[in-house]
Amino acid sequence: MQELLQHLANALLLGSTYALLGIGLTLIFGIMRVVNFTHGELYSFGAYAVFFLEAALGVNFFVAIVVAVIAGCLLGALIEFALLRPIQGADIDTTMLVMIGAWIFMQNSELLYWGGVAKSIKTPFPEAPLQLGLISVSWLRIFVLVVGSVLIVATYFFIDHTKLGKAIRATFQDHDTAALMGINIKGIYTATFALGSGLAAAAGALLGPVFLVTPTMGDIASLKAFAIVILGGLGNITGATIGGFILAFVEELGAGYVSSGYRDAMGFVIIIVILLFKPTGLFTRADRIG
Amino acid sequence: MRKLAGLLASAAILAAGAVTGANAQETIKIGVNEPLTGAFAASGNYVTNGAKIAADEINAKGGLLGKKIQLVIEDNKSNPTEAATVGEKLMVRDKVPVMLGAWGSSLTLAVMPKMMEYKVPMLVETSSSGKITKAGNPYIFRISPPSAIEAEAFGKIIDKLHIKKADFLVINNDWGLGTAQDFGAMFKKHGIKVGLVERMGESDQDMSAQLAKFKASDADTLMVTTAVDQLTLIFKQAAALGLKKNFITTGGSQNPDQLIAQAGAAVNDTKHLVFFVPWVPEATPDPAASKRFIAEWKKRGYNFAGLTESFRGYDGIRAIAAAIEKAGKADPEAIRKAFWQVDITGLNGRIKFNKEGPAGKESGQSVPTVYLIEIENGKVVIPKI
Amino acid sequence: MKRALPIFWLLVLFTLPVWLRDPYFLHITIITAIFIIAAMSLNLLLGYTGQLSLGHVAFFGIGAYASALTSLGFDIELPGGLHIVHAPWPAIAGFPVGIVVAGLCGYMIGKLSFKVRGAYFVIVTISFAEVMRLVALNWVDLTQGPLALNNIPPYSIWLPGIGEYEIWSKVVFFYVVAAVGVACYLIIQRLVQSRIGRAMVALKDNESLAISVGIDVTRYLVLAAVMSAAMAGAAGSLYAHYVKIIDPEIFLFIYTVTMVIMVITGGKGTLAGPIVGGVIFGFLPVVVRSYVAPAVQWMIYGALMIVIVFLLPRGIVPAIEQYFLNRKQADRPPDVAVLADLDAPKS
Repeated sequence: MQELLQHLANALLLGSTYALLGIGLTLIFGIMRVVNFTHGELYSFGAYAVFFLEAALGVNFFVAIVVAVIAGCLLGALIEFALLRPIQGADIDTTMLVMIGAWIFMQNSELLYWGGVAKSIKTPFPEAPLQLGLISVSWLRIFVLVVGSVLIVATYFFIDHTKLGKAIRATFQDHDTAALMGINIKGIYTATFALGSGLAAAAGALLGPVFLVTPTMGDIASLKAFAIVILGGLGNITGATIGGFILAFVEELGAGYVSSGYRDAMGFVIIIVILLFKPTGLFTRADRIG
Repeated sequence: MRKLAGLLASAAILAAGAVTGANAQETIKIGVNEPLTGAFAASGNYVTNGAKIAADEINAKGGLLGKKIQLVIEDNKSNPTEAATVGEKLMVRDKVPVMLGAWGSSLTLAVMPKMMEYKVPMLVETSSSGKITKAGNPYIFRISPPSAIEAEAFGKIIDKLHIKKADFLVINNDWGLGTAQDFGAMFKKHGIKVGLVERMGESDQDMSAQLAKFKASDADTLMVTTAVDQLTLIFKQAAALGLKKNFITTGGSQNPDQLIAQAGAAVNDTKHLVFFVPWVPEATPDPAASKRFIAEWKKRGYNFAGLTESFRGYDGIRAIAAAIEKAGKADPEAIRKAFWQVDITGLNGRIKFNKEGPAGKESGQSVPTVYLIEIENGKVVIPKI
Repeated sequence: MKRALPIFWLLVLFTLPVWLRDPYFLHITIITAIFIIAAMSLNLLLGYTGQLSLGHVAFFGIGAYASALTSLGFDIELPGGLHIVHAPWPAIAGFPVGIVVAGLCGYMIGKLSFKVRGAYFVIVTISFAEVMRLVALNWVDLTQGPLALNNIPPYSIWLPGIGEYEIWSKVVFFYVVAAVGVACYLIIQRLVQSRIGRAMVALKDNESLAISVGIDVTRYLVLAAVMSAAMAGAAGSLYAHYVKIIDPEIFLFIYTVTMVIMVITGGKGTLAGPIVGGVIFGFLPVVVRSYVAPAVQWMIYGALMIVIVFLLPRGIVPAIEQYFLNRKQADRPPDVAVLADLDAPKS
């Protein structure tokens, strides 16, 4: 019983960052129809940014996270502007190849700059855990859960209640009509990509201190994000949120009771099963975003 | 179209020339096959830096046989196939007469068939799997302790630790699985029960699921075998789970100071089997050499924590240099034979190879020193037992 | 000229070991040739049917593992008490086994490509390769997991007068790879120039039109997937018995990317494309490596990939064909022009 509760607590804490990753990718995927291979690199960028700010510049841990997320947004906007805008309207294969090229470039520039040795981020939280009855959770992970949840809610608010959010929703529903209504589609694309990238960087900035920061950490994050998006349905933010938590629970319980070696396999098994039997995702509401 | 064909052909010839040409300076090359990226990057870089210090030291004294030694360093990316590939590259393209490598047991085992094929000896500095010296590969000379020797050394003091039952958490490769087997056998001999044996992938970062299992187990001790990066995560995650056990790590790739720096209070009261004690250089077999090495390491601005690994590269290159000197020429077969006459005192102790494995094609194994250290209040101490 | 060209290239190919005396360069050539075979097989799916299969390395790896395990033997316990023991077979038997097993997996993926399309297909294929990697990593009884399958025997052939001959020699192995490569090339050539090939191209360009004129979509796509996977499996078998060690990282996405880069830069949907791309990206690392760190080398790859998609979206071979076409300024037979047009990016 104690073991099960502990597994469930672990999964809950991990789920919020998975949800962030998933929401970021589902926005980009849903609105721009771009299979974004750089998503994982934005994730590792967020983690490295926190490490750099804190270790090299001595910036406060919490400030470093905020700066990392903003930097992630800017980097995302830059990628969209430099690489995707010039080939707007090209088929999905072409954009995918460009994104693969960008992914390889980014990952190896990280490897070149930081080296292959994993980095560890210091946090101001105590090592001793919070004891909640039978289970214990670290303060750092509670912080991750809280910030992750706040960001998820903030994203909802942004999409539902701001002008830019409405424009993004309109573009998702119908590009052409939205353009006719005077929405600047190019601007929407850049904004969406920046937002999605910022969320990926946030996930990296939050999980980096929990684990270790390595140049290849983004690869598995990318693939997990794809799994979450497919689980939740294309462009479906609620789906991605729930999908993120589902993936975390499946992974943790799989690792605990089946085999720890197959932890990372769970996401892919989900992808294959969902696509074979319910290709639109578990939460079929692909007609609108939000 | 024909023009194009000609162009391509001449480009190919040009490329071939670029590859075959050059490399005519008078140096003695030593191949270094280490994980500089990937899961074991931290350790591989430490070992390589230690090797560089030894090489510079030898060259500063005039080199070997009147020639400078040159390290040809290749990254095996912590991957067995890559280790075999770069090993082949070192032997075939760079024509090194001897190599140092390849850190992990699975990495070393991957290079071994290639050594048989090209008949080049390799000094093994870190790998611990018993399979390496028992495979009948006469080109293998190992200075690191195989897990059986490590377990045996630990066995001498084990009774004083009053362990009743131990669980194992090991890395899922030759190193970890071999350690679980050899230490498990030693424990049983001493009347200690062996409980759970859980594995983790080489690049796994979340071990909470395994740790949650240990929390529910009734064993008093958890034996952990993996390298420093994963150990850091394990200690942090164990602390987060409130897992209170007697932790003992094996393998000598813990870099205790790095654990203290990165996992903080989570590593207090944990014990570690290491093969070099830079905290008390006067207690090492060759205090003068240890102090010199530690000073040079600090002078180069490397992390103090790396010393418990970098000495392997240092000892390795010095043993190789001794063999080359004895051989009198930079020839693989002569060096292989000369390894049997090597008898020097390294930072870890005497390096002299004993025969192991099937008769007629024995590998060399020296018997290194094993130390048990403890971390108390963020400081490394030698426990009084 | 038209006749002489293939003979010229064949001559170049088969005399290569004579003027490549350096064994390391020969080694690189063999590895490159094996990847070119894999890239040619990917081109069949990517270039001719338009299916962006980004899990292609799965077939390569499955071929390698199937072939290696056939020659090494295994002893596994399946759930339900089923005990399977396979005694080692001669290494050469691994080659057809690798092809067949990879082909069967290709059949599955071919069927799948009907249920899921576009971006979804891409993600399913990537996931398939990743699942294969994790299975290879964790099914230790069968694959040795991260311990790697080591000491894979070389191919051995029975020669009259000599008896059992084990191929340890790089030169001999080069000829084996070259022969397999030429065979694959000819098979692909026959296939795409036949009715089947035209049907595939029609499918890629306009599926609904193709269906309306009676092209059996399922049959052709599955056929292409099976052929493609089988050839990748053959390349995997060659790789396993040449390198003589394989581990789960053979399934890494980066190898698929290597193949994709070869196909795209060379020119997808052209016969020579994967070869040109393969030669460039097979040898470039060796040349570049002497000057820059591996990370920089990959950065160059990434940047080059973007630049090529931007500047030469159809790849090098179609661009060169176009260049010669323009220079002649003659009215060539229309079929050539049409063929070139097929590769234009759909907007």
